[in-house]
Parts: sequence; C-alpha cells; structure tokens
Amino acid sequence: MAVNRREFLRRSICSAMGGVSLYSALGSLRLVNAAAQSPTAIFPDYRALVCVYLYGGNDSFNMIVPRDNTHYNTYAASRGNLKIAQGSLLALNPTAAGMPSDGAQYGLHPSMTELAALFNSGKVAVLGNVGTLLYPTTQAQYNSVGYPLPPQLFSHDDQTNYWQTSIADDANANGWGGRIADLLYAGNPNQNLSMLMSLSGENLFQRGELINQYIMNPFGVQRVDYLDEYLNGPGATAFNAMFQQSSQANVFERAYAGAMNSSIANYQAIDAALTSSGDVTTVFPESSLGGQLKMVARLIKARNTFNMRRQVFFVSIDGFDFHSTQLTDQANTLADLSQSLKAFNDAIGTELNLGPNVTTFTASDFGRTVSTNGDGTDHGWGGHHFVMGGAVRGQRFYGSMPSLLQNGNPDDAGYGQLIPTTSVDQYAATLATWFGVPGSDLATIFPNVGRFATANLGFLNP
Amino acid sequence: MAACSIGHARYLRAFMFFAAFAVIGNVGAQVASHRPDAGFHYGFEAVSAGPFNDGDAARFLTQATFGPSLAEIANLRTLGYSAWLDQQFAATPSYQEPFLDWVRGLPPNSPSGSSSVYQQQRLETWFINSVGMYDPSSPPRVHDDQLRQRVALALSEIFVTSDRNGMLLFQPWALGSFYDALTRNAFGSYRSLLQDVTLHPAMGIYLSMAGNRKPDAALNIRPDENYAREILQLFSVGLNLLNLDGSLYMPSGQPVATYNQTVVRGFAHVFTGWNFNDCALSDYDDCGYYNGYEPGMRQSMTSFETYHDNTTDKQLLKYDTAVLPNGILVHGGTAPVELTKALDNIYNHPNVAPFICKQLIQRLVTSNPTPGYVQRVATVFNNNGAGARGDLKAVVKAILLDVEARYGHYSQGDRYGKLREPMLKLAQLWRNTVARSSNGRINLIYDPAESYGQAPQRSRSVFNFFRPNFQQPGEIRDLGLVSPEFQIATDSLIVSTPNDLEFRIFYNYIGSDHWTAQDPDTALMDLAPLSTLAAAPATLIDRLNLLMLSGQMSPFMRQTLLTRLNALPNANGGRDRVQHALYLIAISPEYSIQK
Repeated sequence: MAVNRREFLRRSICSAMGGVSLYSALGSLRLVNAAAQSPTAIFPDYRALVCVYLYGGNDSFNMIVPRDNTHYNTYAASRGNLKIAQGSLLALNPTAAGMPSDGAQYGLHPSMTELAALFNSGKVAVLGNVGTLLYPTTQAQYNSVGYPLPPQLFSHDDQTNYWQTSIADDANANGWGGRIADLLYAGNPNQNLSMLMSLSGENLFQRGELINQYIMNPFGVQRVDYLDEYLNGPGATAFNAMFQQSSQANVFERAYAGAMNSSIANYQAIDAALTSSGDVTTVFPESSLGGQLKMVARLIKARNTFNMRRQVFFVSIDGFDFHSTQLTDQANTLADLSQSLKAFNDAIGTELNLGPNVTTFTASDFGRTVSTNGDGTDHGWGGHHFVMGGAVRGQRFYGSMPSLLQNGNPDDAGYGQLIPTTSVDQYAATLATWFGVPGSDLATIFPNVGRFATANLGFLNP
Repeated sequence: MAACSIGHARYLRAFMFFAAFAVIGNVGAQVASHRPDAGFHYGFEAVSAGPFNDGDAARFLTQATFGPSLAEIANLRTLGYSAWLDQQFAATPSYQEPFLDWVRGLPPNSPSGSSSVYQQQRLETWFINSVGMYDPSSPPRVHDDQLRQRVALALSEIFVTSDRNGMLLFQPWALGSFYDALTRNAFGSYRSLLQDVTLHPAMGIYLSMAGNRKPDAALNIRPDENYAREILQLFSVGLNLLNLDGSLYMPSGQPVATYNQTVVRGFAHVFTGWNFNDCALSDYDDCGYYNGYEPGMRQSMTSFETYHDNTTDKQLLKYDTAVLPNGILVHGGTAPVELTKALDNIYNHPNVAPFICKQLIQRLVTSNPTPGYVQRVATVFNNNGAGARGDLKAVVKAILLDVEARYGHYSQGDRYGKLREPMLKLAQLWRNTVARSSNGRINLIYDPAESYGQAPQRSRSVFNFFRPNFQQPGEIRDLGLVSPEFQIATDSLIVSTPNDLEFRIFYNYIGSDHWTAQDPDTALMDLAPLSTLAAAPATLIDRLNLLMLSGQMSPFMRQTLLTRLNALPNANGGRDRVQHALYLIAISPEYSIQK
C-alpha cells in the first residue's frame, strides 16, 4: 500500500470522475481536499479501533433485557416462549450518571457473565437502540409517505452495507473505516502497511478510496511456497515475470497480479514483525472469534515493530440470523462473544497495558423483531451495542432504551421492528473523534451526521 | 503514467480491437507481447458456426464445462456447437444421492473405504461428477454430463444452501439431494426449479420455512420472513426494478424497489404450514432432524393445513401483467394452492429474466456482460421461441452461443472475462490429468474452503462466496466494472490457493513417494501423457496452452515458460518440466482470468 499523497489525489479524482453517483464524486473530492489540508504530522500515541461485527443481525433484545418487574413483564408478554427467564438475567449496575433512559433495570443474557463483569467494572458501556437512519425518524414520520428512510430496510446485505458505510443514501460509498484511513493514513510512520486489517474476509467497512484492507486469516500470514523452494531461482524468476506489476494486458489480470504482489509484500513485513514480537500469553477461546481477536492482540503487540500509530481492525462472528431454535443457539453464540471479548480485554488491558489505546465496539446488520415466529425472530432495525476499552466511560447506558410493548409501542415500525433512536453516524462519529478525526473533517467522513442532535455521544474519554 | 486509468483503458480497448487481428503476424517477434494470442479468425463467421479451430473449441468448453480435454475438443469440432449442446442436453444426469447411499452401504473393512457419510462425502461425489472422475459407486460409468454439472454449480451459487449452517452441518443427504434438485432442473423450467428449491428440506432448514406457522396474536407470533425475503431478493426478482437488459429501471433518476416489507409479510404468510414429509402433526412445532438418509431430509416438504394461514389476504408482487388483481392473493386457499399462486406471481415478474440471466452469464462467461447480451438472453428466458417461459435449456444455449460469449474477447478486449473460481482450478487440473485414487474415493486431505475460500454448498451465508456486484478496489472499481470472484481473492487466499495447487501437483501424482500419495483415497494426477511431451518444451507448452488457456497465451508468457522449462533438466521422464509448467500456468494472471 505504498502510496504518496499525490497518488492519492490522482486516484481519488479518477475514481470520482468514473463514479456513477454524484454524491460519491463530490464526497471523494471533499475527502481529497480534506486529506490535502490535514496535518501530516505523525500521531504521537497509539490508537486502535476494533470492529466486532455480528453477522446475521443480533437479537439484542434477548441480550440486554429489562429485569425489574414492570419492564420485564412487558418484555415477557411480547417475547412469549422466546423470553429469557427473569431470574437468570445477570444484573447490570450502572453508575448514577449512566442510568438507562427508561428508568428500567437491565440484565445481560445469562451466558454473558464475563461481559456483565466488564460492564460493572467500568470497562464496557451499552449504546441503546442504534441503527441506520437518514434523518431522525419518529413513528409518524416512518408511516408518512415520502419520508426519507434507508433503502431496503430489513435486508441483510443492504443494512450491513449501510452500517459499514454510514451513508445510506449512497450505494457507492466507501466504508467509514476506509474513509477514516484515507484521511489519517499519513499520520502513521509506516506508509507501506495498510492501517486497515481484516481477520475475517473482505468487508465494506474497511474499503477506502486509496487505503484498502489487508485481509489475513487468524492463524498468521502465508508465503508463496513456490518462491522459497530449494534451488528454484529460475522458477521464481518466471513467477515474478508473469506478476510484474501492471504489465498484464487485461484489467482483471492486472488486478489479480496486483493483489498477489500486495500479499507477498505484506507477508514479508507482517511475518517478520509477528515473529520478533512473539505470541500473547492470554488464553483465548478456541472459537473463530477467539482466534481472530488473539491475532489482533498479537498485531497490536507488534505495533512498534510495524511502526504503526493508528490501526483499524475488523473481526466477526457468524450465525446471528436466528429465525429458528434461537433460545439454545443464541446462548452459545453470545457465550463465545462474551468470553472472546473478555480475553481480548485482558490481553490488551492487562498483558499489553494498552487499555486506553484500544477501543472495541460491536456492530450488526440490524436488531431483530420484538415479536417472534414461534422459535425465532425476524429482521428488525434498531438494536443495542457494546463499546469496550480503557477509554470507554463505562458502566453506563447511552442513547435511549426503546419500549418493548407489543401493542401501542411508539418505537415500533411494525411487528416489533424498532425504529432506531440513535444513528450509526453518531455512533461512528464518536468513535472517529476519539480515533483522531479532527472536528473540522467529521462532516467529510460522515456527511449526514449533522442531521442528528450530536456527533459525540460521550461514551469515550478524549 | 500520470494519466487517469479511465482514459487509458479507453485507448487500450480501441487498441485491443485492432490488435486482435494484428497479433497473428507478431508471433515470434523480437519483443514478446503481453496481449493474448488471438488465434486465426476471419471475423465474419456466423456465431453458431464453428468452432473453427481447437482454440475456439477449448474456449467454448472452458465456459460450458469444467475444462476441455483433447477428446472433447475433437468431439466438439466434429459436432459443431449446436449438436454438441444437444448431446450434452441428452446426457444422463449425474447425481450425488446414489454415491452417498453407496458409501453408507459399504461393509466394514471394505477396500472402498469407510461407510461414514459426512459433508466430505458430498464433496467427493461433487468432484467425481464435476471432474468426470472414475466413480467407485458405479464402476463402468463415466460422468460426461459436464454442461449440466457446470450449470448446477452456477445455480448452487444463486440458490444458496450451505453446510456452514449448524443444522445442515450433519445433513449431507439433505444438501446432496438439494444439489441433485439443481442438477435435475438445470435444463428444465425455472418455475419447476423454484418449486423444488422452495420445498426442499435443505432449504426448509437453511431459510427456516420448515415449521413456519400462521400468526398467533395472543403469543405475539407471526410468520417467519426468512424464506419470503430471500426468495425475492436472491432467487428471483432482486431488490430493484430492472430493464430487460439488466440495467436499473429509473423513471425519475432513482431505483424503484421491487417490493416492500408488506410484500415480504404477504409471502411469509403464504409460506406457512410446511414441514418435513415424515413429520407428525403433533410434532410440527419441534420436528427433530432425522437421520440424514431418511426421506424427510431428501423429499419435498409437505403441507400441514392446521398451521397454514388461511384467514388473511396476502399482498404479493404487484406489476402490470400480474394475474392477481393488484398482486393480492385473497385468503382461503390451502397451503399448496397458495404456494402455487405465489410462486407463479414471482415467476411471471418481468425482473426474473434479467436478474437470473445476468448472474448465469457472470458465472459461466464474463463478469461484465453488455446490456445487449443480457437482453438477448433475457428475451429467450421470457420466450424460448416456442412460447415457453423460463426454459433454462434455451437460456443456457443462448448464453453460450451469444456473439458476446463467442467473440467478446475481441470486441471488449482488455475488460472481458472473469476471475476463475479458485476451486475450479483444482477441478480443471484433475480433469487435465485424469486424476483418480487407487480405490476411487476422494480424500481431499484439507478442507478446500480453507485454501480456496470456497467449496460446493459451503458459503458463509445465503449471499454466496461473493456478490455479483462486488468491485475490486483500484482499477476495476475506477472503471465502473464488477468483479464478483475477487471478493474472495483476499491476501490470504490469493496465496493459499497456489500453495495448495503446488502441493497437489508436486506431491500427489501417480508414482509419487510422498506419504499423502500412499493413501488409497488420495486423488493422484496422471502426469505421464504430458511428460512424454516434455523433451520439447514448446510442444508441452502448446498443449497446456490449448487445454488451460484456449490457445490465448500471450507470446510473453509463452517465452517466460519456455525459458523456465529449458533451464530445467528433462529429468524424471519429463515429469519435472510438466509439474513446473502446470503450476506456473495454474497460478498465472493470464490463466486466472478466464477470457
């Protein structure tokens, strides 16, 4: 990813001119201007953002559940046979300054003991009922014809895209992690390694205009074996000749060769750094998410070898689309989430002593319906999320907690699909501000954030 | 260097058109070109005529099969495209279920291996059927329904099911039988396909239509929307209204949604009252999952009227030619009657033709078909010429015989083609080298999804391994092109695929002394026929150029390979040269892009 500012400008302008969306073109140009004017100073400290994406749309209404009698009874009536037993909920005890907006008492799903402890010790905060929005939206506005709403509500991949771009009115937008990287990459001493690293495949969140994600697997990086075989110099020569950058005649061939060359270059840097900095000693769960977060911890441990000061990581956990057998299956998945986050918090906070430098947050396609289909739930809209780390003003609830009434629910878009009361823009802008995006550039990265009450929800210390 | 790639590419495209005809005289010129070898063409042939040379035949077979062989090239040249297609349409279909049953019936200590049936056995039969390998379950049989199998794979990436689903993980028969349903319908009617897919227990589990039930206001229960949403979004009409040529219909400059949440709910109500065919009514709410081989996992789901909603009118798709007035299905029908009307309502929507046809073109031929190409195929979908709609045989024929399939690599030059699916590189290598194991079973040694990022019916979600509109950042996106398969060309997988291919080429061939090659169920490539050509590297390269690159290898690449092979002693009976040639071609940028 060796690119200089001039190359950035050139490619951004090319892209803007080739784009199909007027907004994309203008947005890219604005970003180019912002990048050109932003300070090129190297960041003095280290900060990392870690996105934990819950694929499938997590049923957060069974994850963070009211436990006082009044609110629990409302919840239980709506959830029917899908309800979590009141007595099994793990109490969340917020500070006086962080009480939930509805005055209810809340508890966590019984499989999340680690996360409940992290909340109660101030390492974790809850953000209530956040989701994709174009404008603040009331039930009356939702029901009125022509009111601007995110397209294709309740569709997995569309809502995933909008969570990850935070610009629901532009189908061609880059991801907000990618846009942050476009703006801030110059603040890293190392300009050759992408500041966007995915441990879980290609994702839109980390697609930038010029900074693209490095996608590795949780077990480490791989070399091209053929290039290292004994006495295979002529073989390597032939390989390298065919992959010579940009020499191919077909656009797809050039892209394939470019991807291979990028992978080879990154392998050498990452393998060397991981080898020299060594493993982390914290024990992680044997799950996929556990493995991904462990590798993130190892990469963060190697930050000085990499010479990186700002990094954005993407990990994910599959399988939240519980249309059926939700009660048993979600318990297992949430247990994995809770244990993996706990291990990551231990590795970062205790072992590496970087608690205030790393902020971890969850995101998901959507929340789910408050109503059920008998043994599962369907695609909803707003949902609750966690933010974790030493910079988090934890043990508090942010945003507002929605009503879970079956009938007469003022937050209901229908069938218990709850209208978000906090937008992804606000959530993301708060994280971006902590990460180092200057206030003057916030509207460039999040063009819609000005439509909402605040661009900083206050869940992070500066 | 500072020029924008957009203008640059336009220039290249114009140049390519010229170069396609000019390059013939350049072969052997001093500076070896990176441009593809165009072969010899007049440029005025009728589309359906031909093939006119072996390269043409190989190129057609690359789109229509899992890779050409010398015999198939000769067969195609004898028959011509049209008769070859008819031969393929008539070929006996290969199915997965019989293989799984055969494995299950193996006695203890059988030389044919273990009788355990897991998802791995489903992959075994997939490779045997798709590569056309020796089949130990029916020994004399050679699977030669290549086109049908190739189309079935394409369909499996549109009508997605996956063993990554916790409940399907232990149901190899359900997934195998689902694949068989795709195979059975590959040349049939899209309407039948839609019905079979909808009612198959694998889909019933995957998208939770099995056990879907009518509303119960007292319990705050309403029908499951999962299948309703995805059949619309992914299997039929898509999110936005399309023109016949696949472009977005935008009367006021903005896309128009094909349906809304009310329609999803309408279909969700229709799809109530279905469960496995051996489910007892009293167990409807909790029909356990059966032993995989039992009928409930292989045969269509059956209806249970007690659980079917027959009291609400259902808003289905509303469009000008819809049979239902305003797209409303008036309540009262039984589950099967309502299902028929609802699937008809989907099937007759004008979006289906461009939505499905464009994706089939992308899977078989090229990532960025022109609107004209999509429209020509979609027109055939809407009417096969004999008044029938949804005739997939006619659609496949239209895709492969279109002028853009046959000659698009000339007319579109440097932006034509598609990234080969990584798994299909292995399939083609095994096909080229007539691979088989000593007992006929196929132990893949590693999960292909780990090194190739894909394996049949093993995607992470119903959205397949990659989305049809994915744009690789960089030049591809800057040009406004899409490149679906690039979505899994991650930094890890772009390296792990070559490494796995290297392992198999260099260690798993007949005669190898590597420990993995000693197992009776390791597929071993037969490198002997190619090895006899290795004494003259140019001959070997020409052969592989034909089989793997349809004769399109650039002079530059040919020269690079020649240099490499000439520097290698012709040891081990020629095998060393064959192995390096196979590997370097299999991982090369030119081969990796099917053009």
